[in-house]
Amino acid sequence: MSRIPTWSARARSLARRARQHPRLLALIAALLMLAATLWALTRPGMPLGPVDLTWHRMQVNRDFYVGIDPSYPPFAEWTPERIEGIEPDIARELGRRMGVETSILIMGYDGLYDALYTGQVDLILAGLRADPLYADWVHYTQPYFDAGQVLVFRRDAPYSSIEALDGKTLAVEIASLGDQTAQQWQRRLRSLEIQRHMLPQDALDAVARGEADAALVDTITARLSLNSYPALQQAEHTTAPDAYVIAIRAANFRLIDAVERALDGMRTDGTLDAILNRWLGSGT
Amino acid sequence: MVRLCGTRSACDTGLGHALLVAMPAQPLSPTSRVLSRAARVAPLLARAAIVAAALVSFVPAPPRIVLGPPQTVITRNPAICVHTRLTDEVEEWKVQRTLALVREMGAPTIVEYFPWPYVDRGEGRYDWSHPERIIRHAEQQGLRVIARLGLVPARLRPPAEERVTSLTYLPYDAFDEFAAFVGAFVARYRGRVEDIIIWNEPNLAFEWGSRPPDPEAYTELLRLTYTAAHAANPAVRVLGGALAPTLEPESSGYAMSDLLFLERMYAAGARNWFDALAVHAYGFTAPPDAPPDPAAINFRRVELLRAIMVAHGDENKPIVITEAGWSDDPRWANSVRPGQRIAYTLDAFEQAAAWPWLEAVCVWNFRIPVDQRNRRDAYFALVSSDFTRKPIYDAIQAYARGWESPYTP
Repeated sequence: MSRIPTWSARARSLARRARQHPRLLALIAALLMLAATLWALTRPGMPLGPVDLTWHRMQVNRDFYVGIDPSYPPFAEWTPERIEGIEPDIARELGRRMGVETSILIMGYDGLYDALYTGQVDLILAGLRADPLYADWVHYTQPYFDAGQVLVFRRDAPYSSIEALDGKTLAVEIASLGDQTAQQWQRRLRSLEIQRHMLPQDALDAVARGEADAALVDTITARLSLNSYPALQQAEHTTAPDAYVIAIRAANFRLIDAVERALDGMRTDGTLDAILNRWLGSGT
Repeated sequence: MVRLCGTRSACDTGLGHALLVAMPAQPLSPTSRVLSRAARVAPLLARAAIVAAALVSFVPAPPRIVLGPPQTVITRNPAICVHTRLTDEVEEWKVQRTLALVREMGAPTIVEYFPWPYVDRGEGRYDWSHPERIIRHAEQQGLRVIARLGLVPARLRPPAEERVTSLTYLPYDAFDEFAAFVGAFVARYRGRVEDIIIWNEPNLAFEWGSRPPDPEAYTELLRLTYTAAHAANPAVRVLGGALAPTLEPESSGYAMSDLLFLERMYAAGARNWFDALAVHAYGFTAPPDAPPDPAAINFRRVELLRAIMVAHGDENKPIVITEAGWSDDPRWANSVRPGQRIAYTLDAFEQAAAWPWLEAVCVWNFRIPVDQRNRRDAYFALVSSDFTRKPIYDAIQAYARGWESPYTP
C-alpha cells in the first residue's frame, strides 16, 4: 500500500531538485526581484508611479479650486462681499496649509459632482454625505462635521445615551430623522413615550419646560439654539450620525493625502472646532 | 467499380444510397447537388442547434410579472395626484410596485414622462414598448395617466461640435415631426390616455434647447400638436404651458417669467390650441396660503396665471397643477422642515378642493429610480428608491383614506 508523502517530504524533494538546477533557481530569483522592484517603483509617489496631475498643477500654479453651493447657511452663504460660512473657512484653511491660493467656485448643488468629474474644481465641499454611487471615482475624506441627531437634556438630569430614556418622554421634531430614530428605540426599550413637535425648537422648549425628559434633534439646530437654553446641554455623541465629508477625485492621491493631513492637523490643533464654534456656537 | 453516386460526398453521407435507387449513373443535376450539400451540413446544424438550446437554457428567464386583478383607488380627495418618475426605471416589477404604492396612497392620477426619443425609430416608425409597460400597469392599478411628452431624438439635434444644446433642442423646422409623434401617441392610446402635456417648462432656456425662451414658437408648437392630437382623438385634452415658476426678467436669456410667457402665448393666439393649462406650483419656503404676488414664487402663484386666463376669456378652461411640492432637504435654504412639508402638502390638497377651476395637484415626485442623496430630487420624493415609505407618504395616505397618522400635524 503506497503512502501519501508528507508536506515536509515534498518540500525536501523540491529542494533536492532545485539544488540540481542552480541556474534555473537563480533565474527565478532574479525574475522575482525584478517584479518586486517594478512593483515598488510603480507605486503612487515613486519615480515610475502614476502622476497626480492636479497636485502637480497646484504646485506649479499655487492654485486650488473648491466647488461650493452657497445655499446652506451657516455652512455656505453668498453675501454681497464674499462667500462666507463654515465650508469656505475650511476651504481657505486647507489652501493655507497646503501653501496654495484657494479659489471658491460657486455652483448649483446638483452640478457639484459634474464639476468635480470634469476637473473644473479640485474638490467639492458642500455638506456632502459619502455616497456609494460615486465610490468608483470619488474619495471621501474623514468627516469634518456630524450633523446627526443628538440628545438634548437638562443639565440637572443628564442622559448619556438614548438607552437611559427607558420609561421616559422623548421630544422630537415630527417626521424628522429624529422621529424615525425614536420609533426604532421605542421598539427596543420597554417603554418610550414620543412627543412630536412641528419644529425642533419646540422640542427643546418642551424639555426646558420639563414636559419632556430629553429631545432628539439635529446637531445644527442644537448647536445654534443652546445659547438660548442655559439649562440644557447636548450629549457628547450623536445618536444617529450624519457625517459631512469632502469629495476628491480618487485619482488625485497626492491631493487626498495632503487634504487628509491638513484636516488631521486642523482637528488636532483646534482650528476645525474654532471654525465650527464661530458659526454654530459651541453647543454648550 | 462503378460509382453510382454523382459525387464522393453524396456517397459518403448516405444520401448516395437514395440516389442509387432514384438516379441514373450520370452527372447530378443542380437540385441534386444542393440536396447533397444540405445533407452534408444537416448533422452539423443539428449539433449546433442542440448546443444553442443548451446555452439558452442557462440564460435566466425574465421575472414573470403578473398583472393581477384590476384595482381601484380609494380616496377622499380625487385631486390628489403624483408625478411618477418611471422614465428610467429598468425592472418591470419596480414599475408595478411604484404604481401599486401610488394607488394604495390614495392618488387616482399620475403624471408620467414619455420621452419622444425612447419610442422614436425614425421615418415615422415607433417602438411603443416603453410607454406600453407603464400605461398597462397604471391601468391595472386604476390610475389615470397624464402623459408628459417631450425631449428630442439625437437625429434632430445639432452635433455637439457644431452647437452645444440641451436634449430639448427641437429645430423649428422639425416641429411637425414632434406633432406627428404626438398624433401617433394619442392615436395609439385613444381611450387609455386622454390627457397630454406638450413640452415641459418652455420658459426655461435649458428646457428650450439652450435657446432663449420663445413664447411665439412654443405657441406654434402647441398649434401643430393640438391639431395632430385632435385629429387622432377628438376627445383628447391638450395641456399647454407647464411653465416653471420664475422671476427672471425678459432680458435674462436663461428664463422668462411664467406670467409674461403666458401673456405672450395668448398674444400669439394660443387660446385656440390648448384645452387646459398645466401649472408648476412650488412653495419653496412659503406656506400654501401665502398670498399671490408677481414678485414671489409660492403655491398660490397659480391664481395669477388663472387671472391671465380669465383676462383672455379662458375662464372655462381648467388648470392642472402637474408639479408641486415642498422639499425637506436638510441642507437647502429653499426647503422646509419635514413636519412643515407634510402640513403644507395636505393644506395644498385642501386648497385645491376649494378652487373649482383646479382639477388636481400632482406632487413632484413620487419616487426616483436611484436615490442620490447629493441631488435635490431625492428630497422631493415621497418614497425612497428602495420603496421605503417616507413619513410624508404615510401622512398623505392617512389624509386620503381618512386614517389616523402619527405624522399628521
